[in-house]
Parts: sequence; structure tokens; C-alpha cells
Amino acid sequence: MMYLWLKALHVAAVLCWTGGLLTASVTIAARSTRLAGAASERTAAMEFLSRWDRRVTSPAMLVAWGAGLALAMQGQWFGSVWLTLKLAIVFALSALHAVLSGTLRRLAWSDAPSVPSWLRHVPFVIIAGVAVIATLVVVKPF
Amino acid sequence: MMSPEQRHEELAHLRRMRAISLIEGSTLLLLVLAAVPLKHLAGLAIATRIMGPIHGLAFLTYVWMLIQLVSGGGWSRPEIVRLAIAAFIPFGGFVNARVLARHQRLLAAP
Repeated sequence: MMYLWLKALHVAAVLCWTGGLLTASVTIAARSTRLAGAASERTAAMEFLSRWDRRVTSPAMLVAWGAGLALAMQGQWFGSVWLTLKLAIVFALSALHAVLSGTLRRLAWSDAPSVPSWLRHVPFVIIAGVAVIATLVVVKPF
Repeated sequence: MMSPEQRHEELAHLRRMRAISLIEGSTLLLLVLAAVPLKHLAGLAIATRIMGPIHGLAFLTYVWMLIQLVSGGGWSRPEIVRLAIAAFIPFGGFVNARVLARHQRLLAAP
């Protein structure tokens, strides 16, 4: 029973985390290709997103990690190939989240700094990562 | 130019980073100086089985916050390298905490 509650918490946290991650990445990608609107509006939008990241997306990531590790221990999933692969992708997504979070903070300060061009591709990387994770968890092919 | 609210947020971020740096440094010391000797000298393998994952989580949290800090800008390359390397060395976490405290003082200065 406890396992199902943990699973529900994990899925809810993952939805909040990936939603915030996608929003941040798409906004930064739009910023790197010149977002419409006045500079002050753009900075205000970045500040709002940065605050959202601190208060919602980052805590959601921590809950997803905590509940996920508890689930893996309870279900004795450690050692499975699918979980090892999933963990590698989650590490990569977490690192990307840190980059996006720092970039949002920098952009919230001023409109001047440029954004690395590779960040434009991050939304697609996130979607691909989430799709592979969903497949690994649901199908458990290995 | 930073607004007072942004300065407050940045100071809070540096405080959090300093706290996790101290936690990472302390758990590394506990692992190396207490848990590992207990395992090899007293046969208490449970010591490393407990301290290992605790330090692992503290280290991962530190690395995550370091990536965030570096992406936020305002840090020189030597400072970034020092913050990264010191996390692997016993007592390095405490050195990092001092570096972060210096940045905190600079930011807090009027």
C-alpha cells in the first residue's frame, strides 16, 4: 500500500518537475532567438520564471528524487538494467535543470547577457529523455 | 544593477550553497575518518553502508548547486575549478565555505 502512495507522490513530483523544466527551456530557447516585447518585460518574465523554478520546480525535483529512491529500495529494483539506464538519464536531466536554473537567474538580473546557442536544443533533449524514461519504466525492456 | 529583492535572493542562494558545502565536507570527513576505519579495523561494514549513501547524496546536491551557481555567472574560472576540486578532498568543503562566505560579504556590502 505504501508503495502505491510513494508511486503517486513520485509521478506527481515528476510531472511538476518536467513541466517546469520544459517551460524554462522553451522560454530560454525563445530568449536566444529574440523574444518579442520590451526588454523590461522580458527581464520581468525571467524573474518570475526564476522564482517559480526556486519555489516549485527545484523542490519537485527533490521530491521526485527522494520518492524515486524510496520506491527503488522498496521494490528492490536496484541492479535492474532499465533502472540503471533511467538513472543515467535522470542525472543528465538534473544537470540540465541546474544549467537552466542558473541561466534564468542570470537573465533575471539583466537583459544584456547572451545565452549559449546550444540551449536552443534543450527542449528537444528534455522531451526525448522523458520519452525514453517513460518507455523504460512502463515496458521494462531490460 | 541588482534590485534589493534580487540581492536578497542571491544572498540566500549563497547561504544555501555554503550550508551544503559544509554538509558535504562534514559527511566526507565522517566517511573517511570514522566509517572506513570502523569497517576495516572493527569489522563494522554497516558504518560505510550508512555513511556512503549519505555522503553520496550530499555530494550530488553540492554538484547540482555548483552547476547552477556557475550557470548563473559572476565566478572566475580559477574559482570554479577550486570549488569543484575541493569537494573531492577532505576539509575541502570547509575551504569552499570560506570562499562562498567571502562572496556573500562582497554582495552584502553596500
